[in-house]
Amino acid sequence: MAATFASKCSRVGRSLWGGLGNNLSGLLSASHETACNHFLSQQQRTFIQMRTVLKVVDNSGAKKVMCIQALKGKKGARLGDTIIASVKEAYPNGKVKKGKVVYGVVVRAAMQRGRCDGSEVKFDDNAVVLVDKQGQPIGTRVFGPVPHELRQKKHVKILSLAGHIA
Amino acid sequence: MRLDKCWFCSSTLYPGHGTQFVRNDAKIFRFCRSKCHKNFKMKRNPRKVKWTKAYRRLHGKDMTQDFAFEFERKHNRPERYDRNVTENTLKAIRTIDKVRVTREIKHIERRMTGKKAKELREAQKELEQNISLVKAPAVLREDPSLTLPIKLKVSQKQAEAHLMEE
Repeated sequence: MAATFASKCSRVGRSLWGGLGNNLSGLLSASHETACNHFLSQQQRTFIQMRTVLKVVDNSGAKKVMCIQALKGKKGARLGDTIIASVKEAYPNGKVKKGKVVYGVVVRAAMQRGRCDGSEVKFDDNAVVLVDKQGQPIGTRVFGPVPHELRQKKHVKILSLAGHIA
Repeated sequence: MRLDKCWFCSSTLYPGHGTQFVRNDAKIFRFCRSKCHKNFKMKRNPRKVKWTKAYRRLHGKDMTQDFAFEFERKHNRPERYDRNVTENTLKAIRTIDKVRVTREIKHIERRMTGKKAKELREAQKELEQNISLVKAPAVLREDPSLTLPIKLKVSQKQAEAHLMEE
């Protein structure tokens, strides 16, 4: 029953129900067998849209950020795009406080992005680096791997701060 | 252009094929097709999955140590383009591949045979000792026409001829 509900969720409205459905299945999967888990592990990864919570991977002071608008793209933002977001969780002493509206560049996306040689890349989570209106990063460090798609989008500063380039 | 190996099945990844997954610790996993990718998501160990090269090498089904493998080392330093070097390398790749393939086939053949001699010896022994299971020795003595249906060596045939004469 949970499986059919989850499948309905995945088919109909991923944007609003996606988070809710996943939460429910997360709660139920503890009691169900691995068959249920296996079905749920084949997720359809989609765009980053309104209400998507992303992890912040720089030292600007924010921890979690919720997307309120994806600039460019009718269906949502992908790897390398900029978004407008609202800070939901922040460290107490940081440049950015909770509730602030910021711009961000998506540096890791769970949805696969095609590369120009025909292959595809995907990351483990959705992560963002906060930038200002001009595109310069607010923080001074970037954690984790970043893709080199950012070079084409002219986010060279982020690439230079990054530890690994995927 | 770089030819990689699939992380799961160790087949070569040509440009335009496959996906790559970047984990948050910056380790990149490349997969040749979704079969390997799905197995990885199921957290299967390639050393235990029968059709992968890792399993075959581990269990001695395929050649592991060979001089031909020395040529296929991965270098991370870029080579300066030299037309002669490139030409010679391409020729060498062709011949080394041929050598390697013939050696691998021989290895598998050698693995498959080697039991025939042992099986023959065992069959002969069984025939000598356990013919009484097929027909009672008294009956055999009267009617030695119960010929042994299996092809034997010449020495065995002579012994059989002696038996029949008696």
